[in-house]
Amino acid sequence: MNFAPDTSLDIASAVNRATVPAGATKLKVEKLNFYYGENHALKNINFDIPEKRVTAMIGPSGCGKSTLLRVFNRMFQLYPGQRAEGKILFDGTDLLGKELDSTVVRSRIGMVFQKPTPFPMSIYDNIAFGVKLHESLSKAQMDERVEWCLRKAAIWEETKDRLHTSALGMSGGQQQRLCIARTIAVRPEVILLDEPTSALDPISTSKIEDLIDELKQEFTIVIVTHNMQQAARCADITAFFYLGELIEVGVSADIFTNPREPRTRDYITGRFG
Amino acid sequence: MDATLSGTPAGQVLAQKPTGRISDPIFVGLLWASGIFVLILLGLIIAMLFEGGLPALREFGIQFLWSTSWNPVTERFGAGVMVFGTLFSAVIAVIVALPLSFGIAFFLTEIAPGPLRRPIGVAVQLLAAIPSIIYGMWGFFVVVPLIAAYVQPPLIEWLGPLPVIGALFQGPPLGAGMLTAGLILALMIVPFITAMFVEVLESVPPMLKESAYGVGATTYEVYRNVSVPYGRTAMVGAVMLGLGRALGETMAVTFVIGNATRMSASLFAPGATIASTIANEFPEASMGSLKLQSLLQLGFILFVISFIVLALSRVLVRSKLKS
Amino acid sequence: MASLARRRATDYTVKAISTGFAALSIVLLAWILWTLLSRGLPALGPQVFTRVMGPPGAGGGLLNAIVGSLIQIVIALLVGTPIGLMCGTFLAENGRGTQMANVVRFINDVLLSAPSILIGLFVYQLLVVPLGGFSGWAGSIALAILIIPVVVRTTEDMLNLVPIGLREAAFALGAPQWKVVTLVTWRAARAGIVTGILLALARAAGETAPLLFTSLGNNGWSLDMSRPMASLPIAIYQYAASPFEDWVALAWAGALLITVGVLTLNILSRVVLAKIK
Repeated sequence: MNFAPDTSLDIASAVNRATVPAGATKLKVEKLNFYYGENHALKNINFDIPEKRVTAMIGPSGCGKSTLLRVFNRMFQLYPGQRAEGKILFDGTDLLGKELDSTVVRSRIGMVFQKPTPFPMSIYDNIAFGVKLHESLSKAQMDERVEWCLRKAAIWEETKDRLHTSALGMSGGQQQRLCIARTIAVRPEVILLDEPTSALDPISTSKIEDLIDELKQEFTIVIVTHNMQQAARCADITAFFYLGELIEVGVSADIFTNPREPRTRDYITGRFG
Repeated sequence: MDATLSGTPAGQVLAQKPTGRISDPIFVGLLWASGIFVLILLGLIIAMLFEGGLPALREFGIQFLWSTSWNPVTERFGAGVMVFGTLFSAVIAVIVALPLSFGIAFFLTEIAPGPLRRPIGVAVQLLAAIPSIIYGMWGFFVVVPLIAAYVQPPLIEWLGPLPVIGALFQGPPLGAGMLTAGLILALMIVPFITAMFVEVLESVPPMLKESAYGVGATTYEVYRNVSVPYGRTAMVGAVMLGLGRALGETMAVTFVIGNATRMSASLFAPGATIASTIANEFPEASMGSLKLQSLLQLGFILFVISFIVLALSRVLVRSKLKS
Repeated sequence: MASLARRRATDYTVKAISTGFAALSIVLLAWILWTLLSRGLPALGPQVFTRVMGPPGAGGGLLNAIVGSLIQIVIALLVGTPIGLMCGTFLAENGRGTQMANVVRFINDVLLSAPSILIGLFVYQLLVVPLGGFSGWAGSIALAILIIPVVVRTTEDMLNLVPIGLREAAFALGAPQWKVVTLVTWRAARAGIVTGILLALARAAGETAPLLFTSLGNNGWSLDMSRPMASLPIAIYQYAASPFEDWVALAWAGALLITVGVLTLNILSRVVLAKIK
């Protein structure tokens, strides 16, 4: 007997059918293995992330989806004992190569976290912080950049009169959009989103989802989410992970309406996870 | 990319100059260097105290540690009286401070009404902030005369003639002496011990206490049978830390202990601790003299004693608070 | 099994005694403060701040001692704070979880609780003997060594309160580690770190024992750091133990000044700390 509610129908109706993926591969994961000390957390992952599309990574907690996200921008290297083997080709260059500097990788591949992480400084300085790391701009150019990215993150109207007040005084949803603006300001090519709405209310969540839809015009987006409706709504491509393995990847519409793998079907219909 | 956006164009993919390739190793090197500096500092302290006192140890041999003679005229020096005085005064301090700390911690965690809790806690902590020399002056000008006038005469009269414990209550009522030093030290360590007790007691899981209340225990019974046993290891560590402080206190003790380099079992007899002797006799010891070397050797002994006590307390405190 | 009445009685008794102990500690604090005020205030005339220490009966003040203390404390802060800040940062950021950090933390705890008089003896051996005399420099270094472990401890504790996510966010923008630490982590922990420095300052201000063998004290006016230098605690020590009434009165005035300063710093840092937590 199966008492789990059948959610496949409403997910199917929410699936984003507007864009069918095409275009060049931005990130190519080849034979990737990842270890937390002795623990083998990702097992032989191979998969392509297309340019200027939204790719969602889903799966139960501990399946390795967040781990993979943190390999893309080499965040794992902050922690001794974590190591990755294999290749991640970023427009053909191996991101895991020793000769590449992490700070450069991270300036090309930005990341937004689960909880908003505004720095304890003004809204303006939050944005300028990242930009100054990589470019030297005049005051006028910086003003322009701040406005540009705040507009992109759909938060300009709310912040233009208080740019020099502390970012800590904003609401959670605003803080998260500021963090997105801060990431965009560095002008990366890829934006990684690690469960960006899990700490937000439904209204803020829908604003962020609209924003993601906008941003894919310019950026390649990879999002980790626990919320399957969100993956279905936002993502062009969805990859399902389970116990460190990539079980299935494909166009979101197919994954959510007609998964090939029984484990994928069990997960998206809420049978586990 | 937005065509109107000015500024240097984003670099060719990954061909940009890294931002921390040189500065980061320097910064990390500085961090490590400061860590290593602290290690070297302690090593140097140990080495220099030992080296400075070595001639005294050579002169008097290992007996220096327990010899009770301290005679600047004949230049015969030994640490016995001071080691005894240090331990005796510190033990008095802990014996007095322990019930006080248990009581105040009980008051602060279980009895004090919410709004009073913080101000009283802060007031107790301010006792710890008052500099040692202030305790010394207050002790010397206020406490010593009171003890000489009102505490010692009746105790000497009533308890002095008793067998065995009578030995603790002998001598003239001078005011200054072991007991006064111990009391002042107790007052100085109570806030430290209390603060750590409170921290431990607040880490007791509420569930544990609630289940004891659930079977009808009184507040005191919960404190005694649940909270205190739960934090026992860390609390022993806290007491050791208090003991460590009492062992090394200098100025307060120097004012009230009477500074006599004679051994006596009486609580009322003037005495000396290692720290008070160093503070007192240093001005009369010329550079390079045997007396100065003996004082340095005393310092080394004090360091070893405090180190052992502090190391033990730390192991006990950290072990419990971690789990 | 004790009767309920008896258990109740025990409970009340212990509660009463505990409350009494707490009241006793407040009374003692008030008593000490009252002693300081009643004996220190009458002696606290303008000459205390305008005149140098002088012979008994000459109407001297404590100006040189106050200035000497300030100079030595400021230099001690300038030397000790950066080292303490870096070492605390090492423990919280780079060394986290390593054996080296555990050892450094342990050694720092030992330094934090080591008798301050031994720091004085150490600096005597390290600087006074080789340089051939007592000096303001030696006093400052002794105070700096007392300051370092306090700053290390509070810096580490305060940096540990900064969420990991904040550091990761800065790294994710491509910041090198030194910028993450100096511009983001330190900044987030700013108030707490300042508290640590205030506490260290309070500790250094009241210390007497380590100055006995380093800057020694000086009855005259001197700003020369390479010569013996006056300080408030040493002046108090010297005057309090003297047989002259006006010296003893000045000692009380000095004691009042130091205590008010130290307690103010303490209360200030507690207010800041309460805001953080």
